[in-house]
Amino acid sequence: MKDKIRQSRRRFLKFVSLNISLGAGGFFVSRFVNASTSPIITATIPSTNEKIPVIGLGSSRTFNVGNDPQALDNVAEVMRHFFSAGGALIDSSPMYGSSQPAIGYGLNKLDKKSDIFSADKVWSWNAGLGPEQMEKSRKYWGVDAFDLMQVHNLVEWEEHMKTLQQMKRQGKIRYIGITTSHGRQHDELEEVMRTQPLDFVQFSYNILDRDVEQNLLPLARKRGIATIINRPFQRGDLIGELEDKPLPGWASKINCENWPQFLLKFIVSNPDVTCAIPATSQVVHVKENMAACYGALPDQAMRKRMIDYVENII
Amino acid sequence: MGELASYQLSDFILFSQSAYFRLFELYNQAIWPLHVVAIFLAIFILYALWKKAVWSGQLIAVILVISWLWVAVAFLYQRFYQIHIIANWYAYGFIIQAGLIAWFGVIKNRFNSRVESQQRVKVGLALLLFVLIAYPFIAFISGRKWIQFEMFALTPDPTALATIAIFLLFKTPKYCYLIPAGWVLISMVTLLVM
Repeated sequence: MKDKIRQSRRRFLKFVSLNISLGAGGFFVSRFVNASTSPIITATIPSTNEKIPVIGLGSSRTFNVGNDPQALDNVAEVMRHFFSAGGALIDSSPMYGSSQPAIGYGLNKLDKKSDIFSADKVWSWNAGLGPEQMEKSRKYWGVDAFDLMQVHNLVEWEEHMKTLQQMKRQGKIRYIGITTSHGRQHDELEEVMRTQPLDFVQFSYNILDRDVEQNLLPLARKRGIATIINRPFQRGDLIGELEDKPLPGWASKINCENWPQFLLKFIVSNPDVTCAIPATSQVVHVKENMAACYGALPDQAMRKRMIDYVENII
Repeated sequence: MGELASYQLSDFILFSQSAYFRLFELYNQAIWPLHVVAIFLAIFILYALWKKAVWSGQLIAVILVISWLWVAVAFLYQRFYQIHIIANWYAYGFIIQAGLIAWFGVIKNRFNSRVESQQRVKVGLALLLFVLIAYPFIAFISGRKWIQFEMFALTPDPTALATIAIFLLFKTPKYCYLIPAGWVLISMVTLLVM
């Protein structure tokens, strides 16, 4: 994965001038930084110190297109722009219908199987079927092994976790994690985070739903667990509510040209967040989202200002 | 299984509106010219209702059985299941309904007992004519591509609605309404949640 990041940087550096400061894109840089001359923003996975870009790609709904050839090509095009912008982590689940084969189609078409940080999930109430399901998922993706395998929505997590730990020991997966969404089951998730040897945890977080700042995010930092943030736009509802509202002029100080970048930068500027995974089926949106991986991030004062602004106009 | 209670309906509608309607487009392209057969099936139903012959009820029942089975396999299982993880259960429901109609309408020949209520007949006929004639134009009228149309005997919504309409014309046991009415409810909720 480190090689992948280096490749992304090389791609990016082709376009930057010689006098840029490579340190300009770190966390909490509140001064103005031109996004086009900053390196991709990455975060560290605590358990290995591996770095990944802070914006990933979700696949719920958006990549569930069946065997529609036109839509599959569109998925591949979205993935092409994601990778071109330096993206690495793509997340899916057996629950997302045909999203897994669609990702496999894209990876095969783009020949990007070595560039991806593959994150999938096991989702079965019969833990005995977990290995079979994960192998089926792997074949859909067409990868040799998943980077990250997560227990989806805490379903039968005790049993699945044993399987995942064994797979990690055998080198079949590199990281293990657990997920929830919509702010559900946080008490149980906390318990899992306190007691299980997790590399990743995934839950929902956005500028309006910030409960996890009080418990899950600090706990993840304390336990050395990387965090993946799903539903950064409340499944599109947040964008829908904001799209007609004016972006504040000061958003340019953190290199935000639109609401998706504003909302994503709020999330990934939290020091306890490793990666946000917005999902989209549109090239223009993946470009917007990935732009949040560059330029300045808000500091604490700016984050407070962002919250106040959004809460006042919604 | 406790976790299941924490799911919401929207958690199971993991496909977009565009993917859903595009399904009809690809389906219609794939099964052409079966639409002509579906039109003839609709005409046979209307003719049988008008003729009131001894074979009318059984012919209508046979057409309904074929329709429910076709939709179960060709649409729900082979197509919809690709993007909807529980569409296989819908397909099983449609097969059960085909079995019920076969038992009630074909084997027991109960589609010969018409209802006396003229109000119910009017509602049934109006709904049936709407579904058979007007329903395919809804896609176009609602601003979708015309080729995303839905027809009786080929897609679930008009098939379920036409079946309810036909049931209204006969002394149909209430349990026969369960699956078609349930489907109409599921479809409505799906369209709302999507």
